Amino acid sequence: MFRANIFRFELRRHLRSALWWSLGVVAIHLVYLPFFKTFAENAAVLEESLKRFPKAFLEAFGMGRISMATVLGFCTLIFLLVQIVLAIQAARYGVALVSREESERTADFLMTKPVSRRAIINSKLAAALVALLATQAVLWVSTFAGWAAFSAGYEYDKGRLALLLSSALPFQLFFLAVGLAVSQAVRLVRNATPYALGLGLGAYALGAFSDIGGEVKLEWLTPFKYFDAASLVLNGYEMRYLVLDLVIVAVALVFGYWRYLRRDIPTVT
Amino acid sequence: MARMVWYELRSNLKSLLIWTAILILLVVIALAKYEGYRNNPEMIQILESMPKGFLDAFGVRALNLTTLEGFFGVMAMYYYLMGAMAAAIWGANAIAKEEYNRTADFTLVLPLPRTRILTAKALAALLTSAAFVLLTWAISLIGAQRYDPGPDFYAFLRLEMAGMAFIALLSWALGVALACLGKRPRRAASAAVIVVLVAYVLSTVQALDERLDFLKWFTPFKYFDAGDLYRNGALDGGYVAITLAATLALVAASYAAYARRDIAL
Repeated sequence: MFRANIFRFELRRHLRSALWWSLGVVAIHLVYLPFFKTFAENAAVLEESLKRFPKAFLEAFGMGRISMATVLGFCTLIFLLVQIVLAIQAARYGVALVSREESERTADFLMTKPVSRRAIINSKLAAALVALLATQAVLWVSTFAGWAAFSAGYEYDKGRLALLLSSALPFQLFFLAVGLAVSQAVRLVRNATPYALGLGLGAYALGAFSDIGGEVKLEWLTPFKYFDAASLVLNGYEMRYLVLDLVIVAVALVFGYWRYLRRDIPTVT
Repeated sequence: MARMVWYELRSNLKSLLIWTAILILLVVIALAKYEGYRNNPEMIQILESMPKGFLDAFGVRALNLTTLEGFFGVMAMYYYLMGAMAAAIWGANAIAKEEYNRTADFTLVLPLPRTRILTAKALAALLTSAAFVLLTWAISLIGAQRYDPGPDFYAFLRLEMAGMAFIALLSWALGVALACLGKRPRRAASAAVIVVLVAYVLSTVQALDERLDFLKWFTPFKYFDAGDLYRNGALDGGYVAITLAATLALVAASYAAYARRDIAL
């Protein structure tokens, strides 16, 4: 149920693209980190003068949950942007995973080979996963190396930082699995980019207001809420969200497999 | 040519509906949050007790969440971002999709000069983007109705939508230009989106440090900053001129490049 040659071929294609996505992640860190010191100093002054205001007031402006004058507070700013990049990457891999053969007219070639569809999708999924993990490895290295260089003497809890970074895995799994499910729900994906952007940015838009008070049911739809950086840093994982995420991943994968193993492969006209 | 515009508009319809659906969800969530802050007496009291200079310094007055204007001011960045992305994708795919769908040979042998084909397709993408801005406006107005908006709100929303329209216009031109100038048609939309995202990141980085003030020239998201719009009550003529000039330059480059483009088959 697994073909090493398909896996290797896919992995080579994916790693080249993962390199670009990783560069994006590194670039975000490089752009932000040098300004940590001045930002933290300004934030400290501002927060001092804001202390006399009630918490509810600060929350109304998206402030006060976590101090921006700390390494982890600044991390939450960076991590949101990183999450957008990771979401679009994983969604793209998911949508293109098997639909790519159809839009590039190579499906008939692949299907006439003596490999089962199950082996095809297993091998492709494994390759995409490895590429995502490689991107996450770059994220870990660039975050820790970046803070080693730019923390300007500010102390921070490395365990909390690691916990924050670990959320990238369930986060990306969501978009990979849902992307696959979406690609199998439509008749033909001609170009994966709009789908990936719609998924990634749609989820971001839904979670956009999650850091200001009050809970809205629609936010239960988006992993940007499940893995909100500030609450991860302050309280760790929230179990109901983590479980919900994994359940959605499982359902989406089952649906994707179920459809792919039965579907009529469309010819591109 | 009119028929080609119609055909393109029809094929954009589904994607327009999806973008609009995401936008509606965003507005629904945002207004549900607004409910908790609206006219919250405790918060208004605090705001009034604070010195005006202090509030201005932190942009708090412009984006005061207890008022409808403030709330829609916060939403401006999401509106701008979505308008920019959608317009960039429509602009890029209008030109590029013929090549990656392998229908370019069919379209280009029609008895129409290439410039007319480019005009028809780019125009359709532009009209779709304009429709998206108008839909955003309509959805915002409908969402705001419950809260009895005053004339100030209508004026501010009009400015914000003008800002969104200019940003969408520039992104549309960017998408068209990248599709006309780029070698890989399948990449055109991604490239346009990357440029939009980089501009967005620049606009957030710019706020970190005063030394980065110069970055505001490079990111259209700052040209139409909601806080500035609220304070000034008008668009900044200089920024509008830059936007229009950049759009014209991109469109001119697109026509020059597409006329002699080697179509990938």
